[in-house]
Amino acid sequence: MIEVLGVKKSFGGVRALRGVNMEVKAGEIHALLGENGAGKSTLMKIISGAISRDEGVLKIDGDEVYFKNTQAAKEKGIGIIYQEFSLVPELSVAENIFLHQLKNHLFIPWKKLRDNSRKLIAELGFELDVRKKVKDLSIADQQIVEISKALSEEVRLLILDEPSAVLGPAEIHKLFRTLRALQKRGVAIIYISHHLEELFELSDKITVLKDGVSVATVSTGETTKDQLVELMLGRSLNTMFPDRTHLQSAKHREVLFSISGIRVPGSNDPVSLKICSGEIVGVGGLVGSGRTELLRAIFGADPQSFKKVTKRDAILRVESPKAAVRSGIGMVPEDRKQHGGILECSIRENISVANYPKLNKGMGFIRREEENAIVAALKEKLNIKMVALDQALKDLSGGNQQKVILAKWLNTEVELLLIDEPTRGVDVGARAEIYQIIHDLAESGKAILMVSSDWEELLGLPDRVIVMRKGTICGEVLKKDLNEEILLRMAIGEEYK
Amino acid sequence: MERNTISRIKDFIIEHNTVLIFVVMLVFSASMSDSFFTLNNLSNLIRQIAPIGLMSFGMLLVILIGGIDLSVGSVIAGIGVAFALLSYEVYFPVAFALSLLIGGGIGVITGYLIAYQKVAPFIATLAMMTIVRGLGYLFSKGAPITVGVYSESILNLGSGDVLGVPYVALILVVVFGILYVVLHYNVFGRLLIAIGSNEEAVRLSGVNVRRYKFWVYVIIAVLTALAALIIVSRTGVGTPNIGVGMELDVIAAVVIGGASLSGGKGSLLNTLLGVLILGMIGNIMNLLNITSYLQQLIKGIIIILAVVFQKYQK
Ligand SMILES: Nc1ncnc2c1ncn2[C@@H]1O[C@H](COP(=O)(O)OP(=O)(O)OP(=O)(O)O)[C@@H](O)[C@H]1O
Ligand SMILES: [Mg+2]
Repeated sequence: MIEVLGVKKSFGGVRALRGVNMEVKAGEIHALLGENGAGKSTLMKIISGAISRDEGVLKIDGDEVYFKNTQAAKEKGIGIIYQEFSLVPELSVAENIFLHQLKNHLFIPWKKLRDNSRKLIAELGFELDVRKKVKDLSIADQQIVEISKALSEEVRLLILDEPSAVLGPAEIHKLFRTLRALQKRGVAIIYISHHLEELFELSDKITVLKDGVSVATVSTGETTKDQLVELMLGRSLNTMFPDRTHLQSAKHREVLFSISGIRVPGSNDPVSLKICSGEIVGVGGLVGSGRTELLRAIFGADPQSFKKVTKRDAILRVESPKAAVRSGIGMVPEDRKQHGGILECSIRENISVANYPKLNKGMGFIRREEENAIVAALKEKLNIKMVALDQALKDLSGGNQQKVILAKWLNTEVELLLIDEPTRGVDVGARAEIYQIIHDLAESGKAILMVSSDWEELLGLPDRVIVMRKGTICGEVLKKDLNEEILLRMAIGEEYK
Repeated sequence: MERNTISRIKDFIIEHNTVLIFVVMLVFSASMSDSFFTLNNLSNLIRQIAPIGLMSFGMLLVILIGGIDLSVGSVIAGIGVAFALLSYEVYFPVAFALSLLIGGGIGVITGYLIAYQKVAPFIATLAMMTIVRGLGYLFSKGAPITVGVYSESILNLGSGDVLGVPYVALILVVVFGILYVVLHYNVFGRLLIAIGSNEEAVRLSGVNVRRYKFWVYVIIAVLTALAALIIVSRTGVGTPNIGVGMELDVIAAVVIGGASLSGGKGSLLNTLLGVLILGMIGNIMNLLNITSYLQQLIKGIIIILAVVFQKYQK
């Protein structure tokens, strides 16, 4: 149904695509795999008419097409869910889903709009208050709105750019069910994800992109994870998770931070927890179980009536992010675009922004050489792919943006780092690097509290996992007792024996 | 190849539109009137634009963080009246300092409302605009006040010069220099741009965003007070009904200079060019004896031109 031949695209000096071939048939689920910055999103934006190609051919049903804009692509039946959300935060769910049709009406047909939205969302297997403003939804729910929006029109090719990155396992399962139903109706699907298991579960074919070139297209049944990793990284990956077994028995470690009295909105029981120096603690639970709120409360991001935080038995006053940072607490937020990155500003500024007190040589003037040295060292350490440190953050691929935001905290004196979804949208190679970085941080005596919806990650990295349900902590498992079933049972509220 | 050159020229025009408009204005002015490039006229021009210039520098900071300040025109009047009243009581340096302090006080209130009480900048400064104007009328009883004997030496500030350079121009250059350094080499400036781009991300990086917002409104108020004193130094009176609509000229200068009203983007040098462009329109039209009605029209067209150019900028 769609054919891509020798497509090339440059942004200024950056050659994002250097010759891509790809063919997707009707009724096929075709996965696209590649490192951060390999050019996946760029290719999808070209197919959906959001940007133009420099060279190459794009054919639909055998005819070459040039899309002037996304509207033109839509008319050919191409729907896309972008990696970065494209919803209108101030409008309701229903309005967002049917935004494209509103222009045909003089008055908004509220009832029809709401009924149809509800139906669409129900067909996906979810339930949402369609009157709510999108900005009040969790990211996972926003993703559901995105998907509903794409499906509100007749699509023949549906592109999903990392839809699962913001979803939990239960939601992903439902998404897959929907995609298979679409596939049966003959819809072609391009699916992008950094999670290899997902590709094996869902896709028929996989195209691997490396440095802007399509290096191979394979049938999913005839390939292995190792082969895919080699194709996309150009090297094999031995271990995903650093070995922390020697650390787990260390009961004698000192408690570094002790936190109590935190009330997560929607729950009456206060949450308390302790975390030792050198320890990595995971926080599991379903989407909406209050994990993000817990991290934000510890960090002082929202005004809290009562909370007690102590560090080595000294009481800290953490009533604002500034106070948190001063007390040695840092946070990598879940939402990269809204809370994590300053997209218009340079990579340098994004990395330095939490570090100005230290770089200050008096009166707010910055020690330039020191700053350059620190930023350059972090770029090397985290292997961030960029053209120049003065490049705007928004021009980096998603995974590299995540590394920049992580880098921000590595040059400050944090002792407790709160990480909300550490590897959201990060490719396998970089993911292993980030795990190693987190491990190294812990090795150097820091405490890590990480929320994750990625079960593999939750099972692989932390020394122990806390599970949250409805705003309270419902259990805690040590690494040696950990498996997926236990986590899931605890998260949905079955007794854990 | 040829296409490439054309598109490069186009990019250049779009990128440097403020400079180009400035150069066009300059050439136009020089060719239309022989008296434009005389020392006398130029120093006159500088004296005319200096107050708007100072206010525009402050407004740039405000706009960089995504704010707005509508109260500047009223502050011009209020501080003028305040100085005139003080000039009957105390000597010049004291009256001068007290006037700046009062200006700072107004900024403290505005900044507190916006940064700490989370009042929308448009609303807070709209209220301050009315309040300060009202106070000006109350204290002056509605009539202009001539500067008193104790502080008459302010008139030297308006007319005096060193080696042919007006004092007023020196003030403008010094303030420009300080702000230039702050915006380019100082954490304060960097953070203003960052706050304008994504306030929440900056806050979650452990920066006390409110403090920066607060200070920006204090700075613009002090700069406006300084501008008010320059105006008094030229006229010798404190007038309660002066400066009506001046905030719009100031915002226009910043916008012609390429700043984005949604914050995070703007340049001090281009703001100065914006001020000069607006100033030259007034100046040349006066030299040519053209009515001020036409000036309004041309100003409007230039604003549109500048903003349309910026749309094509990346
Ligand atoms: N607007 C832009 N300006 C400059 N460079 C860009 C722009 N958009 C993308 N790039 C660059 O093009 C390359 C490909 O980016 P793209 O977003 O397509 O990667 P990706 O494969 O989707 O990565 P990820 O898995 O991290 O989402 C990257 O090097 C990126 O920095
Ligand atoms: Mg991408």
